[in-house]
Amino acid sequence: MIGIVVVSHSAALAAAAVALAEEMVHGSGPVVAVAAGAAGGFGTDATEVSAALARAASPDGVLVLMDLGSAVLSSELALELSSPTHPVRLSSAPLVEGLVAAVVRAAGGADLETVAREAEAALLPKATALAEHGLSAAPAPALVAVPGASVRLTLVNPQGLHARPAAQIATAVGALAAEVAVEAGGRRADAASSLELMTLAAGQGTEITVSATGADAEQAIATVSELVLAGFGELEAS
Amino acid sequence: MTESVSVATLVDWLSSFRDAVHEQGTYLTELDSAIGDADHGANLIRGMDAVMGAVAGEVSTVGSAGDLLKKVGMTLVTSVGGASGPLYGTFFLRAATATGDATSLDAAAVLAMLRAGLEGIVARGKAEAGDKTMYDALAPGLDAFASALESGRDVLGAAEAAADAAADGRDATEPLIALKGRASYLGERSVGHIDPGAASSALLLRALADALAAAG
Repeated sequence: MIGIVVVSHSAALAAAAVALAEEMVHGSGPVVAVAAGAAGGFGTDATEVSAALARAASPDGVLVLMDLGSAVLSSELALELSSPTHPVRLSSAPLVEGLVAAVVRAAGGADLETVAREAEAALLPKATALAEHGLSAAPAPALVAVPGASVRLTLVNPQGLHARPAAQIATAVGALAAEVAVEAGGRRADAASSLELMTLAAGQGTEITVSATGADAEQAIATVSELVLAGFGELEAS
Repeated sequence: MTESVSVATLVDWLSSFRDAVHEQGTYLTELDSAIGDADHGANLIRGMDAVMGAVAGEVSTVGSAGDLLKKVGMTLVTSVGGASGPLYGTFFLRAATATGDATSLDAAAVLAMLRAGLEGIVARGKAEAGDKTMYDALAPGLDAFASALESGRDVLGAAEAAADAAADGRDATEPLIALKGRASYLGERSVGHIDPGAASSALLLRALADALAAAG
């Protein structure tokens, strides 16, 4: 599993962003190391970033998420100072959205390249939601038919496919050797991407189609079906 | 003629820069409050105080120029906090690489040291001429340093020319639109304010001239 480093001007901001992201992961997630604040106030410190890179070090690589300005400068300098042996990617993703996306995708076992891409696409759900209100333009993913196993299910939990259920599906599917897609309302999402799942905006009662190809296709269908039918563990209260 | 610059004179340069940022700290922070996050003066005061603490024993132990400048760079990186930490830190770390084991620098070596530092800032901050940054004071300063050497002036004369040109460069940032750093979020509202990084960079080159003048 890849490691993740968070570089922020503010220790409080970093801690809260990490807590928010880790709430999305059930079971074991990636190591998230923080380098935030400097000299007791706002700021960044390249030597702290180097230390965080060492704490998060993984042969699978490390993704670095940063807030603004000197966070980027300090991270670049940290790479120069520590010259790590494993691959390190500095992400242009927005810190909070990017971190949530990266932690979920990394927990699913995705490689550095995939997690980096996921983080950089992290504004997509927000852009899509606002596009629905005519406030921003974002293209909806096209509907493409794929051969293989598939099942139609109805979302029974009250909140539908919001962030936490999306993360549960993405994490479960990420561990399997299968390409899994979820379709709803004429849109199609990669089930390994919690972000894409969220762009479906599928609420309670929505009918979704889950399709899968690959060695674990049937297991993927079964796993996702189980999660959906169990209401993602959100039915106990009702 | 001042022919060579000792490590002790480099320490005097740092000490003179520390005094300058103390003296001008409020001014630097005022500049930064207009177009940044109002901490440039305070950050550099904290950084240079830490630097002088760290290099206090350097003269007596006769380290090389490279050892001294590397220590300065690392201290700034860990103590400054804002963007000037990695930027000034990189300036001194690259300057350290240029001077290496030398314990005395001739005029050409001083120019090479400053140029390596500026190249480091460019690599780190991707700044170009006219972006309203440190570069806009340092680059004309270093050009003036080189021209002065070519026209036969000694290292002190070159440093004085550099300090004057950097001050002009600093003043010339006032009408510019900031294209880098926090100030770039302000766009046209950054016009009419001198860039704080250019102002502190001008102080850095003035401090060098002052230290060389004092060394005779």
